[in-house]
Amino acid sequence: MNPASGEIRRVEGVPWWIVVGGLGALIAYPLAFTMPFHQHIVIMALLYGTLGTAWNILGGYTGQVSIGHGVYYGIGAYTAAYFYVNFGLSPWVSWPLALMIAFVAAFVIGLPTFRLRGHYFVLASVFIAEAAYIIISNWEMVGGAIGLEYPIHRAESPLDALWHLQFHKSKLPYYYGILTLFVASVFVSWRIRFRPLGYFLKAVSEEQDAARSLGVDIARYKMVALLISVLFTTLCGIFYAQYVMYVEPVSTMSLIISLEIAFIAIFGGIKTLWGPVLGAFIIIPVTELLRANFSGHIALDQSALAEGGIGAWVDYYMAGGGGNVDLLVYGLLIIIIARFQPNGVIGFFHRFD
Amino acid sequence: MSDLLAINELSKNFGGVCASDRVNFTVDKGEIVGLIGPNGAGKTTVFNLISGFVRPDGGRVTFDDKDVTGLRPDQISRLGIARTFQILKPFPHMTVEENVMVGALVRHPHPAVARELAGHCIELVGLEHKRDALGGELSTGQRKRLEMARAMATEPRLLLLDEITGGVDQPSIPGLMKLVGSLRDEGVTLLIIEHNMRVVMELVDRVIFLNLGAKLTEGPPREVAANPDVRRLYLGSGHA
Repeated sequence: MNPASGEIRRVEGVPWWIVVGGLGALIAYPLAFTMPFHQHIVIMALLYGTLGTAWNILGGYTGQVSIGHGVYYGIGAYTAAYFYVNFGLSPWVSWPLALMIAFVAAFVIGLPTFRLRGHYFVLASVFIAEAAYIIISNWEMVGGAIGLEYPIHRAESPLDALWHLQFHKSKLPYYYGILTLFVASVFVSWRIRFRPLGYFLKAVSEEQDAARSLGVDIARYKMVALLISVLFTTLCGIFYAQYVMYVEPVSTMSLIISLEIAFIAIFGGIKTLWGPVLGAFIIIPVTELLRANFSGHIALDQSALAEGGIGAWVDYYMAGGGGNVDLLVYGLLIIIIARFQPNGVIGFFHRFD
Repeated sequence: MSDLLAINELSKNFGGVCASDRVNFTVDKGEIVGLIGPNGAGKTTVFNLISGFVRPDGGRVTFDDKDVTGLRPDQISRLGIARTFQILKPFPHMTVEENVMVGALVRHPHPAVARELAGHCIELVGLEHKRDALGGELSTGQRKRLEMARAMATEPRLLLLDEITGGVDQPSIPGLMKLVGSLRDEGVTLLIIEHNMRVVMELVDRVIFLNLGAKLTEGPPREVAANPDVRRLYLGSGHA
């Protein structure tokens, strides 16, 4: 957190040329790897990298471990889907609405639960997430357990496609869209630590009473951290809905999603800038490949995927056919990391004092 | 009125135990006032009531002619009352400089300004050589100094020090006493809880003696130390 007097040489321990090189590689990747499945893997890694980074601002920097971020992800996905499916409203119009709903939810959830300490906060977040899941699964207006399926829009022009945020010929718009969101979230997560907010959040995470005695309004800063976290989580939800064009409770608002988001960050290393990014880029490719290879489903051979696009692929394992190999892997990985590097994968690169 | 702090009929019950029983006292600008009494006399409770960590059941706390009763700890801190904790609470994974900057940043949101103020406070307590050490790596004496530096970084007008010499090895005590004196020289009024009578006698302008949550007596240190009740309760009959 020391001042970058003059030029920036390192970004949280990583030399700037690696950061720039990494970004360059991400920009170039889909041009070199044109197969939809290969692009899809990195799109998902970027999506979860953003989610993990957003989660880390609250769960890591602020020390408020939430196993309920699926609520905000779901709100983003469902709001975009509901207004598009029912009123043909572009997500460009509905996103402020989604954010508003998510922020109101964050206030309603945050105000009482931030008074809870330690594991009670964790438990509260789990119960709220589960309640949201039950509500959404039984709410006919948003399709109940079946969910909402997007009508396919045949765009007349690239501009028209952009307005509807539907791209059927190429994944590139999705790819660069989520890359932008990812870069924005990492940038915010990085710069926050140089601001008073960063110091206050860390103080809150380490010793709340001392922070309060120094004049830090801890309720306010926890809320600010939550809102920043919710901002990116909700935008990710909107992106996901547009990307898969199908929204249902299990893949957007379930406890599994909430757990996955936290798991990515914890596995990679919380309280660090690069931990959640690392976590996403390890976990997501591994699980995506496992899902693709161990499912034994015909839709997952790559030619079928190429033809059917994301639809075939989603139809397939959103229906539960993918098996749960990925969950087994999560379990295995968490055991390994807890045993050998409790600070997360990032710990292998750091020397911790 | 030169009272910086006025406590009126301040009371607090914890499940039937009267931790604070209609306590009255004032602290004048520029004074060093000692709060003493046997274990369980309610000294720390008075600190918690003043600094907002515990809400009083009755009575009033007035700071600089403003009623601050029942305000939150952070609000009270921003009004100019800082405190340290008997059970030390450093931010363990932040450096000494970062620890102190947290206090400074509340009034000075620009990190460069806050860093400069923090540097001044760190020098004041003599921790320059530990600036980049983590809060969790410090010895008890160093942690006490850190707590004081942090509190000073909030630019308080009144500073509540809870047991500065407690749990510290004897050779460190004169240094800590000198430090408390230099805090006063910075223009801060001090209310201190202290067990070490030598420290009280040498440092303090006025003593308030608490017993079982109530004020027993107050006055100049020698006068209070000569009080027969105080001697019986606190100093032991054999004390010279």
